[in-house]
Amino acid sequence: MRRRPGIGGLQTAAAARDQYRLLGENVAKLKTDLMKEQLATFRSQLEDFARKHKNDIRKNPAFRSQFHEMCAKVGVDPLASNKGFWAELLGIGDFYYELGVQIVDICLVTRLHNGGLIKLEELCKLLNQRRKSAREAVSEDDCLRAISKLKVLGSGFEVISVGKRKLVRSVPTELNKDHNEILELAQAQGFVTVEEVERRLSWSSGRATDALETLLDEGLAMIDDGHRDGKRQYWFPCVSSISSYVGAETL
Amino acid sequence: MQKLGDFKMPNFFNYPPYFTLQPVKDTREKQIQLWKELILDYCRTQKFFIIELEKEFPLFTNPVIERSLSHEARDIFLSALVSDGRAEWMDKGHRKCLILWHRIQDWADLILRFVKDNGLEDSVMTVEEIRSGTESRGTELHGIDRTVLMRALKLLEHKGKLTIFKGTSADDEGVKFSI
Repeated sequence: MRRRPGIGGLQTAAAARDQYRLLGENVAKLKTDLMKEQLATFRSQLEDFARKHKNDIRKNPAFRSQFHEMCAKVGVDPLASNKGFWAELLGIGDFYYELGVQIVDICLVTRLHNGGLIKLEELCKLLNQRRKSAREAVSEDDCLRAISKLKVLGSGFEVISVGKRKLVRSVPTELNKDHNEILELAQAQGFVTVEEVERRLSWSSGRATDALETLLDEGLAMIDDGHRDGKRQYWFPCVSSISSYVGAETL
Repeated sequence: MQKLGDFKMPNFFNYPPYFTLQPVKDTREKQIQLWKELILDYCRTQKFFIIELEKEFPLFTNPVIERSLSHEARDIFLSALVSDGRAEWMDKGHRKCLILWHRIQDWADLILRFVKDNGLEDSVMTVEEIRSGTESRGTELHGIDRTVLMRALKLLEHKGKLTIFKGTSADDEGVKFSI
C-alpha cells in the first residue's frame, strides 16, 4: 500500500499502533491473569500438601529430601526467606539455620584435629549426636542444604568431592588436583606412604613429597614413623573417624 | 573402646601418628595438649606419682596398634607438664618425673581439710599414718607418694600449721598439727 502523504496519514498510522498496543496489552493481561491463577492454585496445593505432610517433612529426613527436590523442580525454594509462609508453616527455615550454626561449631571444634576438613558422614554423625535431644533425625542431605545456606555468609564453607566421598571444608585452603588424589588414595587405609603415592599415581617422588608436605603444613596430615617397616606414613584425620572422635569428647 | 584397668583410653591413643612427634607447629601443640591431659588424667585415676622415662609405662606403649613413644617424645610431653607446673623433674638427666595432678599447694589444702574433718587439729600423727592409716582411707591422701606428702607438709610447716619432727628412722617421722 502506498503511503499517503500528509497529516491524515500519520494520524491513521498512530491510531493503528495504539490499537495494536491495546490488543497486545489485553492478550498479555489475559495470559498473566491465567498464570497468576495457576500459580495461586499451585501454591495453595503445595501449601495443602505441606500442611498435610508437615510432620513427615519435619521428622522424616528422606521425605524432607524428596519434598525439597519437588520444590526445586517447580522453582520454589522453601529456604529462600525465613519470613515466607514456608517458615511459618514448617519452621523449616529455622531448622536449617540452627543446623548451620551447629555445623559451624562442630567444624571449629574438630578443626585442630583434622585441619578443617571433615567427612560429611562424620559431620552428620556428630550433628546427630549433638542433637540427640531433638526429635528429628538429620540426614546428609540436610547437612548439605544447611551448608549451602552458609555459603551466603561468605564463610568459606564448601563441600568437595574426593573420590566417592564428600568432605566439608571449613578453612580457605585450596586443594589442588594432586591433593585430592592423595586424599582419595588415603581413604582406603587412612594413610599413604610416599612410595604408594608414586606407584599408584605414577608420580615422580618430588611431586609426591611436595604434595604431602603441603598437606602436612596445612594441618591436614600427620606423620607416623612408628611402623615396623620404618616407612613414614602420612595419616589423614579427615578421612578417618579420629577427627570426630577426638573432637567429640570436647563437644 | 580400649581400657587399661578401669581407665577409658581416649580415642587418639589408637591413632598411630599421635605416637610420632609432629613436625608442624600447630599440630604438635595439639598433640602435646592431648598427651598432657591424658598423662594427668591417668596418673590421677590410677594414683601414679612418678613416671620413669626408661621404664615401661602403660601410656607409653599401645600394643594394639604397635606404637610406642620415643624417648624424645616422652621427654617433651613431660617437660610440657613441668612448664605448666603440673610435674617436676626429679633429676637433672630427666629420667624420673614427679607428676603433680594436684599442685603441692592443693595437696596442702587437702591435708588441712583432712585434719579438720577428723578433729586432729592438735594431734600428733606419723607420716606413714597419713599415707596409709585408717583415718585417710577413702580420701585422696590415701596412698599419696611420700615425696609429695613431705613437700606439702613442709609447705604447711613453713606456714606454721604444723611441726615435723624426726624419729629414729624415716619410717617414724611425725607431725604435730597446730591449726
